[in-house]
Amino acid sequence: MAILQTDTKTGEAIKVGDFQLTPLTRVLKVQGRYHHFGFVWNRPKAILVRKPDGQEQIMPVTDFSRIAIWSILAGGLLGTILVSLLFWKK
Amino acid sequence: MTDENNQTQPLDTRLEMVQNTMEEVLAAADVRAVYGEPIQHGDTTIIPTAEILSGLAFGVGSGGGTGTDQNNSQPWQGSGGGGGGGGRVLSRPVAVVVVSPEGVRVEPVIDITKIALAGLTALGFMVGMMFRMSSRRHALPNIED
Repeated sequence: MAILQTDTKTGEAIKVGDFQLTPLTRVLKVQGRYHHFGFVWNRPKAILVRKPDGQEQIMPVTDFSRIAIWSILAGGLLGTILVSLLFWKK
Repeated sequence: MTDENNQTQPLDTRLEMVQNTMEEVLAAADVRAVYGEPIQHGDTTIIPTAEILSGLAFGVGSGGGTGTDQNNSQPWQGSGGGGGGGGRVLSRPVAVVVVSPEGVRVEPVIDITKIALAGLTALGFMVGMMFRMSSRRHALPNIED
């Protein structure tokens, strides 16, 4: 039986210039019952920016490559189904 | 020398060693693995970010048996054990955090090659389906028809 865990982790805040940045990550962890297998998918989620005036802003880190690839593949699959349906009717 | 030591290691020690390796692989879940060290260039600081995929699997086994030789005169027994495993760590840049006096912004890292390959794959599927359906339409009619 595998243990599946998802978690949002917060890293140590770093000071860059006048800004304080706190990194956030999203982790998916799959672990076997007797530690026989393990899988980790760790990806950046956002950056928490604290401005000099004390304001906080969350800047999401978006993976545009992954979105584009999956969109194109989904579009291709949909297009293939449409093409087959169009030719089928004719 | 080292091989001899490894061969004489008890199974528990080997399991412990593999579990330690597993823990090291699972340490990829740490935040520090995703966000790189800040790189300063003039007034601008760059923090690279990457997604990390890591996996590891292994298996161990042991067994023993007893028997007799062909004349049923001499009993014998034996035992053995073994194990194996494999793992991989993949890393891919996702974005770059740029900190300048103007402010903080996140610049995406776009992998054109992978996107182009995905586009070609999708196009290939569609064109392939078109040819398949088109050849079906133009196929010779059956004798009964």
